[in-house]
Formats: sequence, C-alpha cells, structure tokens
Amino acid sequence: MFYREAGQYKTTYAADMAIFPIRQDRWGLALILFVAFVVIPTFGGPFLLNTMMIPFLVLSLAAIGLNLLTGYTGLLSLGTGAFMGVGAYACYKLATWFPQVNILVWIVASGFVSAAVGVLFGLPSLRIKGFYLAVATLAAQFFLQWGFARAPWLVNYNDSGAIEVPRATLFGVPVTGPSATPVTRYLVVLTLVSIMAWLASNIVHGRIGRIWMAVRDMDIAAQLIGIRLLNAKLLAFAVSSFTVGVAGALMVFLWLGAAEPEAFNINLSFEILFIIIIGGLGSIVGAFFGATIMHLMPIALRALPAMIGLPIEAARVEQLTFMITGILIIVVLIAEPHGLARLWQTAKQKLRVWPFPY
Amino acid sequence: MTGASDEILLDVENVSLSFGGVRAITDVSFDIRRGEIRAIIGPNGAGKTSMLNVINGFYHPQEGRITYRGRTRARMKPHEAARQGVARTFQNVALFKGMTTLDNIMTGRSLRMKRGLFWQALRHGPALAEEIEHRRVCEEIIDFLEIEHIRRTPVGALPYGLQKRVELGRALAMEPELLLLDEPMAGMNLEEKEDMSRFIVEAKLQRGMTVALIEHDIGVVMDLSDRVLVLEYGRRIADDVPDVVKADPKVIDAYLGVGH
Ligand SMILES: Nc1ncnc2c1ncn2[C@@H]1O[C@H](COP(=O)(O)OP(=O)(O)O)[C@@H](O)[C@H]1O
Ligand SMILES: [Mg+2]
Repeated sequence: MFYREAGQYKTTYAADMAIFPIRQDRWGLALILFVAFVVIPTFGGPFLLNTMMIPFLVLSLAAIGLNLLTGYTGLLSLGTGAFMGVGAYACYKLATWFPQVNILVWIVASGFVSAAVGVLFGLPSLRIKGFYLAVATLAAQFFLQWGFARAPWLVNYNDSGAIEVPRATLFGVPVTGPSATPVTRYLVVLTLVSIMAWLASNIVHGRIGRIWMAVRDMDIAAQLIGIRLLNAKLLAFAVSSFTVGVAGALMVFLWLGAAEPEAFNINLSFEILFIIIIGGLGSIVGAFFGATIMHLMPIALRALPAMIGLPIEAARVEQLTFMITGILIIVVLIAEPHGLARLWQTAKQKLRVWPFPY
Repeated sequence: MTGASDEILLDVENVSLSFGGVRAITDVSFDIRRGEIRAIIGPNGAGKTSMLNVINGFYHPQEGRITYRGRTRARMKPHEAARQGVARTFQNVALFKGMTTLDNIMTGRSLRMKRGLFWQALRHGPALAEEIEHRRVCEEIIDFLEIEHIRRTPVGALPYGLQKRVELGRALAMEPELLLLDEPMAGMNLEEKEDMSRFIVEAKLQRGMTVALIEHDIGVVMDLSDRVLVLEYGRRIADDVPDVVKADPKVIDAYLGVGH
C-alpha cells in the first residue's frame, strides 16, 4: 500500500494546516476532479448526466448547506426543502425581471434571498433548542410551501402555477431552458458545486467553523470564551440557507427545468437530512458520500436486475430498491453512527499504519 | 508567593445570591489583587463555584457590587466578561468534545481573530496569515502544557486529567487578565497535581495573569496561593495569608478539622 505520509515532513504551519495535508489525498482529489471535469462530460451520455450526476451534485450541495447548520452548529432543521424553494423562486423572479443579466449572477444572488429568509426563521434559535427548534423549522417548511402555492406572483401568474425556466445563455451557449445540452448544464453545476464545497470547507476549517462547533458542543463554554451565541447561530443559518438556496436554484434551473410548489415538500427536506446522517454529520465530503447512497445507489439497484437478465417487473424493482436503501441506512447507522465520512477517516488511518495495527 | 501588586483588580462587596429559597452566598466581600494567586476554599456547597459564576456573569447576585479594573459594573453577560479579560475553567470539564485539542485551544483565540466570513471562505491572504499567527501561539501553549502528543485527538476521547489540561490551555489561549480555575486538580494523582501546580504558577509568573483558584487539596492551596478566602454555608469565615488561615480555629472546625 502506498497511502503513507512517510518522508512528507511539514516544515510550516501553513503546510500542516492544509485541508489535504497528505500528498496521496491531493492526488486522489486531482484524479476525482479530472474524472468529473473531463472524463464524465466526454464519455457520459444524457442518462448519466441528467439522471445521475446533475441531481447527485445538487443534492450534495444542499446537504453541505444543511450540514453547516445541523452537523457543524448542532441546529436541526427540517425545512431544507422549503429553503431550496426560496432559492428557486427568488432566482426565477430575478431572472424574469432582469433577463439581460447573466443567469449565474441570479443563481448566486438567490442564495442571498434564501439567507435572509433563513436568518428570519433562525431568530427563535436563541430561545428554543433541540426538538423544539426542529419543530419551528418544520413550521417554516409548511408555511413557506403554503406560501409558494398561494402566491401566483411568484411564478408571474403562469397558468401552470409552476416555475418555467426561461432560456439563458453564457457566452452565447444556452445553459438553461430546453435547448441547453446536458453536458453544458452538468459542467455549470459541477463548477458551482465545486467552488461552493471548497468555500464551505475553508469556512469550517477556520475561526468561524470552530465557533460553530463550539456552540454545538458546549454553548455555555462558548459564551465563556467570548462567543455571542445569537450571532454565531444566525451566521450559521445565513451561510447554510445561502448554500441550500443556491442548490434549490440549481435544482430547478439546471436539473428539472420546471417545478411546482410540491417539488420543495417535506420529503425533500428528509432526503437531504438522510444524506447528511448517512454521510456524516459535520463533514463536507460526507455530503457527497451520503448523496451517493441516497441518489446513485438506488439507480444502480434499479438497473441491476435488467443487467443480469432477471425478469422482474419495474414496480417490484422500485419496492425492492426502497427496502434495500432503507436497510442500508439502518446498517450504516448501527455500524457507524458518525456516518460514512468517519468510516472513511478510520480506513485511511488504518491504511497509513498498515500492516502494523498500532 | 511573590509577584502580587497592591492594585485591586477585582473588588467584591457585600454580594448575596440566592436561588429561590436557597441562599448560595450571603453578604461576602473580598478582593483580588493584580498578579496574585487567590485561593477560595470551603466545604462542598459553600458557594465557591457560585462565586466564580457571579464574577464572570453567569449568575447575577441579588445584592452587592462588583468592581473590575476600577469599574463598578452593572449586569454583565459571560461573553462580555470574556471580552474584558476574564477566563474560566469548570469543575466538571466543559470542553468542546467533538473537536481536537488543537481546535479547542484555537477556539480560545476567537476573540483575537478579526478576519470575517469573506476571507475565511477563501482561506488565503490575510485569513491564512492570521490563522498561522494564532496557531503559533497555540502551539506554544501546547508545548508549555506538554500535550503535543494529543494535538489531533478529539478531546472527548481523552482521560479526565488531560481534559483538565486542555481546558486550562483553552483559557490560557485567551490571554486573560483574570483566570478563574474551579478545582483544576480534582481527581488527579500527585504527579498530575504537581504538573498542574507548575502550570498555574507559571501562568502567574511568566504570563502575568491573576488567578482565582478553587481547590480542595490544602497542601496545594498553602503552597500556591498568596491569600486564601474561606467560605462556609455561603458566608466568609476567614480571609488572610495561608499561614494565618491555617491556624484559624474557625477554619479548622469548619474545614480542615473534618479531614478533607
Ligand atoms: N443553579 C443553581 N440552582 C439552584 N441552586 C444552586 C445553583 N447553583 C448552586 N446552587 C446551590 O448553591 C449552593 C452553593 O453551591 P456551589 O457554589 O456549587 O458550592 P461549592 O462550589 O462551594 O461546592 C449549594 O447549596 C447549591 O445547591
Ligand atoms: Mg463547586
């Protein structure tokens, strides 16, 4: 095995503080980026891009957003779906008001709208904690979803009552709307998700991330070292909702192409929550692991019987997929309550010292 | 011990604190001079921890005045006390369990780090320079406390004695003027107590901190402290240099005599 840090002495704090301090990790990351940016768009068909990769990336980004709030700051939210909706509707309004402005600007700007709404609903978090805060976010989920359905203004009084994504271009190439190719949409999503994952990872490894974790682990001691709880929590709500809102805008504009209020329902909130629980609370890479299990694995399971020639009906396959996914979630949680990210850490630690157990 | 000045850093006057019907502190006055190690002793339930909680703003006394650095203060919140240079460790360790030793100690620097979300998100330029500068301070504290080997260990997995050390490290990282230590040596063996005593003395002598120390081990208290406040049932029963306190019959009755 060559997963070793032998000979890699860190002579500066900067090198020691790098997020990927081990050379093999950096190679691994470079390889993943190469596959994601070059191999997949070159060889991947519409099914891989539309049905697998784009949703995978969007869900991963939403999970990163929720993880900042729930995994890092310890504030459980059941309103992720609705906050994705806020991002999507905000993006739609902005893009139809000012169609001449680049769509990417509006996708990012919609994150700010979602952040503002997140802060508003985060205000009670100083007074209420744990279970009751989760109930408050659940109320936000239903309230916002109700609002989406009751305000035709949000969709510019469309007959369908749904967001209908307009055509927009980037350097003359269509990126949204029916004429945008899967490859283009995939590359735009991949770029945005990569950048935001990198920014989130930077934040959690610095002062702000430490403050969030301090609030999560022991809020009394956090106050004692000078942290203002309300500021720290509201900042977590803001950054988390920003990320979730951008994911929502991406979901509608670059994946679905149209969306009714139902698209942002409680099921979506739970899906994102499961992703971070399986992937690992308080881990950025865990969001990608969790999205693999929750989104990519069921697709693989569905394709499996046909590939090996088993004659099973589609409905039966669907049921089996649900069951297997459910069982896997439970197994993962029993085997490693800290999620796949922790399993991955442990495995890497073992590899480092292999073949000597200690 | 030497090193104390005559300047009064903290003055507590006629403080009373009660919880519903329970009187935790009754009309206690004492002061802490800059640069001294001030011990607070007394049997369990005497109100020692409550007194520290009053000093750093967790509890608000019903009566009395507290003057810190020459300013008599109104109600103060714990995070404001931290901003004014008061740091604290807890009787039952209050660390950030999911974080590593290094991160716990770095969190103690939060107030001194100024770069906002924008630079933090980039983790380059000023934010990185700041992170390195504070990392250096924390590494120095880690060396001082001899906890290099557990730098990357989540503190929840550490034995109690080491957790107490990390908690002291986090308080030292704040570079406070006044360090409040609530039974920092409880449950430690002799060797660990000697280490901890050395750290406390050095915090005073080399880092110029003023220390308020709650401790049950009378030997340690007599060795370390400049003056000793003795509480019993929330009242002050003695307050003097160690040798005088040790000979006070009231103290012997209340505390030393019963074999703590
Ligand atoms: N938060 C609180 N609520 C109610 N009673 C308290 C609280 N904190 C302390 N007390 C009471 O105040 C008295 C002094 O407690 P404490 O300050 O912890 O004593 P010590 O630290 O000297 O052992 C005890 O009777 C205790 O039960
Ligand atoms: Mg106590």
